[in-house]
Amino acid sequence: MSTRPVAEALATSTTTGEELSCPHCGDAVATLGAFCCSGCEVAWAMLHEAGLQDYYARREEPGPRPEPLRGAWQVVPVVERPDGLVEASLCVDGLRCSSCTWVVERLLERSEGVEEATVSYANGRTRVVFDPTVTELGTLAQTVAAVGYAPRPVDAPEGRDELLSRLGVAAFLTSNLMLLSTSLYIGWFDGMDPRYATLFRWGALALATPIALYAAAPFFVGAWRGLKARAIGMDVPIALAVAVLYVHGVWQTMAGAEGYLDSLGMLVTLLLVGRVLERRGRRAAAEASAAIAASLPLTARRRVDGGVEEVPVQHLLVGDIVEFGAGDEVPADGRVREGKGRLQMALLTGESEPVAVAPGSEVVAGAQVVSGTMAMTVERVGEATTAMRMAEAVREATARPMPRSPADALAPWFTAITVGVAVIAGLAWAWFDTPERGIQVAVATLVVACPCALGLSVPLSVAAGLGAVARRGVVFRDGGQLMALADLGTLAMDKTGTVTEGVPAVLEASDESLRMAGALERASRHPMARAILAEGRARGLRIPVASEVVETPGKGIEGIVEGRRVDVYGAGPGAVAVDVEGETVHLIRVGDRPRPDAQQAIARLRAAGVTTVLLSGDHPEVTEAIGRRVGVDQGIGGCSPDDKAAWLVQHDDVGFVGDGLNDGPALAAARVGMAMFSGVPSSLWIADGVVTRPALAPVVAAVAGARATRDAVRSNLIRSVAYNILAVGAAVAGLINPLVAAILMPLSSGLVIAGALMVPRRLERLEKQWTSS
Amino acid sequence: MDILLILIPLAIAMGAVFAVLFVRAARGGQFDDLEDPPIRMLQDD
Repeated sequence: MSTRPVAEALATSTTTGEELSCPHCGDAVATLGAFCCSGCEVAWAMLHEAGLQDYYARREEPGPRPEPLRGAWQVVPVVERPDGLVEASLCVDGLRCSSCTWVVERLLERSEGVEEATVSYANGRTRVVFDPTVTELGTLAQTVAAVGYAPRPVDAPEGRDELLSRLGVAAFLTSNLMLLSTSLYIGWFDGMDPRYATLFRWGALALATPIALYAAAPFFVGAWRGLKARAIGMDVPIALAVAVLYVHGVWQTMAGAEGYLDSLGMLVTLLLVGRVLERRGRRAAAEASAAIAASLPLTARRRVDGGVEEVPVQHLLVGDIVEFGAGDEVPADGRVREGKGRLQMALLTGESEPVAVAPGSEVVAGAQVVSGTMAMTVERVGEATTAMRMAEAVREATARPMPRSPADALAPWFTAITVGVAVIAGLAWAWFDTPERGIQVAVATLVVACPCALGLSVPLSVAAGLGAVARRGVVFRDGGQLMALADLGTLAMDKTGTVTEGVPAVLEASDESLRMAGALERASRHPMARAILAEGRARGLRIPVASEVVETPGKGIEGIVEGRRVDVYGAGPGAVAVDVEGETVHLIRVGDRPRPDAQQAIARLRAAGVTTVLLSGDHPEVTEAIGRRVGVDQGIGGCSPDDKAAWLVQHDDVGFVGDGLNDGPALAAARVGMAMFSGVPSSLWIADGVVTRPALAPVVAAVAGARATRDAVRSNLIRSVAYNILAVGAAVAGLINPLVAAILMPLSSGLVIAGALMVPRRLERLEKQWTSS
Repeated sequence: MDILLILIPLAIAMGAVFAVLFVRAARGGQFDDLEDPPIRMLQDD
C-alpha cells in the first residue's frame, strides 16, 4: 500500500498559513504531502485502492484519524435471511459530514461478500447484508475502522411495528366517520331522508369496524396481557370502552338508531397518536444510549511451544500465556508475568492517565497498552472478564421492568368505579324506566367516562418532557426514569470527566513555552500533546515546524525548533518541563479543570433544593479541593467503582451523574443514572439518561424538565379525573346522548393536550427561577 | 340528491385507496428514516 501517487497526496495536503496538514485527517505535519501517522497513510491508500478518492473532494471536514478496532464483534446478533445471507446492525461513530456516510457505504459495498450497506447520517446506524461464508462482521468493522471511523456493535436490528399503519387507518376512517355522524346529528334537527339515514348508519358501522378490529388491536392485546399477569393497566378500561362502544354501535345500527361510533373512532385515533409520540421519544432515547460496546480485541498472541500464534480471543483458556505490546489491547483479565509498561485502564480506575504495570500487576481485558512489551498469564476469559461482566450488567439493567406510570396505577380503580357506576345507574333506570333506557344510560356512562383523557394525559406529558429535555442535552430512555428524577433530593456526581473536563488542559504556561513544546508535540498522540496544541491554537499562536523529532514513550520528546535543541518531558505530576539547549527555561502546568459551567450548575441545583455530592476515585484531598471550588455540599474521595455503587445503594433515593466504563455499577445502582457522553466508543452506558453535551447545564435542565413533566402529569390527572366525575354524573342523570358525547370527548382531550404542551415552558421557568435565587 | 348515494361511497372508496397505499408504504419502511434521504439526494454516485 506504500505505492501511493505522491502527486495526489500533495494535492490533498493543504497549506494554511505556515501550517502543513496531513492529507487524510488535516493535522499539522512537517513536510508537504507527509502523513501525520501510519494510520492515516493506510486509510488514504485504502480509499484510493477502492477508487473512493472522491471522498477528499466532497468532504466538508477533515477525516477522523484511524484508531484500533474495538468491540466484541463475535457476539453481535445477526438475522438470517431466507436467501442464505445475513443482516446485521452496527453503529458507526465519527461521521462528520454526509461524505462520511458515502465513503463508509461504498467501502462496505465494495468489500467481498457484502450485498448491501446503508448508513444513517443522523445516528450512524448501519445496516449491512452479507454472505456469512465469505466474510464476517468483525472483518467489515475492521475495514471501517481502518479509515478512521469508529464502528461499535449494537443490538439486533429492530423489527418494524404496525403502530403507524394503525394510526393512518384510524385517522382516515375517523375523519369520514365524523362526516357521516355529523350529517346524522344534523338530521335529528332538520329531518332527513330515511334512505340516507340508513346508508349513513350502515356506512358508519362499516368504517368503524376496521377501527375496532384493526386499529384498536394493540389495546386489546395489552389488556389481555395485563389481565393474564393480573396487573390491570390503562389498556383494560380502554379495551373495555372500545368493545362496549362497538357492540352497542352494531346493535343500534341494526335497530335503526345512532350509536357512539364517531366517539369510538376519535378515542382510538387520539390514543394512537399518544402511543406513536411516546414511542418516538423512547426510540430516540434508546438509540442514543445503545452504545454498549465492549472494548475487547478480536485476537490475541498466545505463546506455544517455540513460538507465538495469533488466535481469536474466544479460544483463549485460563492459564494461557499471551503477549502484548504498545498499541494493543489486553485480550483477557490476568496478571503480568514478565515485562513492564504503561496501560490505560479507564475500565477499572476511571483515570485516563496510564498506569505503570510490572510483573505481578493485575490487568483487565480491554485496557490499552500505551508503552512496553509484556506477557501475562490469563486468569479470566470471555464472559468472566471485567468488561464482559459489565456488559452483562448493562443488559440486565436495560431489561429491568419499567416503573408503572401513575395512570396505570389509577387504572384498576378507574375501571372498577366506572363499571360499577354504569351497572348501578343502568339497573336503576331499567327499574324506574324501561330496560332500553337502562342500557342507554349504562352505555352513555361507559362512553363519557372513557379513559381517553386519562390514557392520553401521561404519554403526552411524558413525550413532551422527554422531547424538551432531549433538546436541552439529556436524552432519557424512558419517561418513568425522567419523572423519578423529579423527586430526588440528592444528586451524586463523579469527578473526572463529569464535574471536570476529564482531559488534561494547560492551566498555566507562557506563549513561548507553548510554541516550543507545540512544535514538537504535533507528532505526538499523547493527551498532554493535544492539550498543549489546543491551548496554543486557542491563544492564536503561530507554531513553528520542528525537525529531527524523536519521541521516547514514557519519557518525553525532543527535536530542533528554530535552530535550537528543545526537550519536552514530564516533570512530576501536573508539570511539563521545556528545556532549551539543555536548560529548563519553561514549566507548563497541566491538569484537569472543572467544567466552565460547573459552579453555576451546582448553584442552580442547590436553588432547586437538590443536595450535591462529589464521588471520586481520586485522592480524598483532591476531591474535597475540587468540591469546594465548584461548591458541592459534600466531597467523598477514594471510592472504587464498587464503593460508589455501595454508597448509592445505601442512600436510597439518589441520582448519579458519571462517565466512562468504570461508573457502570454506580449508574446501575443509582435510582436515576445519567452518563456524560464522552464520544469514546469504549464508554459503556448503563444509564437511564445520556448527557449529550460536554457541560453540566443539561443536568440542571433535566431536573427542571423532570419536575415540569411530573407537574404536568399530575395536573392532567386531576383535570381528567374532574372531567370524568362531571361527565359520569351527567350520564347517570340521563343527559348524555351521542351528540353530547361527540362534543365532550374532544373537549376533554384538548384540555389534556394543552397541559402537555406547557411542559417546555414550565422547564424554562423553573430554570430561570433557580438561576435568579 | 340521489347522486349522493353513489358519490359518498365513491369518495370513501377513493380515500380508502390512499389509506391502503399509506399502510403499504409504512410496512415497506418508507417512514423508518426521515432524515437521511434528503441528504442522500444531494450526493451523486
